[in-house]
Amino acid sequence: MLPKFASVTARTKDEALSWLSSLENPKIIAGGTDLMVKMRAGKHYSHIIDVAGIPELLGVTEKDGRMSIGPAMTHARLSTEASIVRNARSLALACGLVGSPQIRNMGTIGGNLGNASPAADSIPPLLIHDAVLTLESRDARRKVPLEEAIVAPYVTSIDVKELIDSIEISPLRGYREGYRRVAKRATWAISRLGVAFAIREENGRFLDARLAIGSCTPMPFRAKKVEDLLKGAPKNEATISEAIRMALEEIKLISGIRPSYAYKLPVLQGILEEVLRG
Amino acid sequence: MKTIRFLLNGKEASIEVEDNETLLCALRERLGITSVKEGCGIGECGTCTVLVDDEPHYSCLTLASKANGRDIKTVEYLSSSGVLHPLQEAFIRSGAVQCGYCTPAMLLSAYSLLLRNANPDAHDIKEAISGNLCRCTGYIQIEEAIKNAAEICKCNGQD
Repeated sequence: MLPKFASVTARTKDEALSWLSSLENPKIIAGGTDLMVKMRAGKHYSHIIDVAGIPELLGVTEKDGRMSIGPAMTHARLSTEASIVRNARSLALACGLVGSPQIRNMGTIGGNLGNASPAADSIPPLLIHDAVLTLESRDARRKVPLEEAIVAPYVTSIDVKELIDSIEISPLRGYREGYRRVAKRATWAISRLGVAFAIREENGRFLDARLAIGSCTPMPFRAKKVEDLLKGAPKNEATISEAIRMALEEIKLISGIRPSYAYKLPVLQGILEEVLRG
Repeated sequence: MKTIRFLLNGKEASIEVEDNETLLCALRERLGITSVKEGCGIGECGTCTVLVDDEPHYSCLTLASKANGRDIKTVEYLSSSGVLHPLQEAFIRSGAVQCGYCTPAMLLSAYSLLLRNANPDAHDIKEAISGNLCRCTGYIQIEEAIKNAAEICKCNGQD
């Protein structure tokens, strides 16, 4: 049984923002795949505001060279959305690997960000696409880079009165892009390791190599130092092994030595070798 | 309490539900559809699967209010003409039903697959039922049944 709460279904964003501002102890629900489980385990909110059907929070649009993703887009829709497959392939692949078909039909990308799991599949791809969240409350609107929106495992800087209005990303064209993950089973499993990559190279040099790693550190992180090293560097074994050494060092610096690293770091090394060698 | 209206297996339904009620609970306890079952209650086992606008959803994680205005199907829909659906016949022939607890939901995931894809390959079938656990069969018989049913549906020009 779920704890007692009142629930309302918002038809427009304004309606949702107004309820968020006026109702006591509110919580937004979209797909419910995380929230319903937490509430069943005893987490209590007084008012649940359903935003899944709000047209303004759906769809993918392109404007001024950036793409804007509606937070109520489900994983299933994003995994097949033509503009995402074309311009953010790692995100389409990652969304296609989340949970099970049922979870992908219900769960949304906004929910995945709001839940902020260290193993969230959508986050590493969003990081390499320079994702910026637009957060809106009844009285204010602000933009926050995804890196700053997630402050700790399962904790975000999104205020209880705020709604994710949109997720803006840079399309990447002319990149070799993908998402590799390791989990206990091929499907219906939480990622033990997820690597989003987008690499552009020319005449034997890396022009731009973007890497973000999930399920390894408390928050998925973008390996910017490694990216700086790779920028303009010759594509050879020396560069690649130095880049990987640096990536593994950075992970140990962030998290210390964790028991799982005896397994994860060698596997990550293998994935990064394959990804960088292409 | 609130009133919700939706299509249930092709027929209009209108019920009163609590704000904190799940669709699973509403279907079972207000509408008597006990083919929809609670296994784990946290969206892992799949035995609560229903089709929402022909897509599989976990009804244990769905607020009943979300059904408002939608098309909800349970396994009863498959034989609503009084004749078993080719998928159901194929499940029987292949021995895809043992204890039967996962079967209604498994049939719905399979039915949704065939609506989207009339020629599923082995991978498509495994993927489509990956959110439905079966602890009896080992899945081989279920996969075989779905493959066979797809062939029959194609011949009959049937959903």
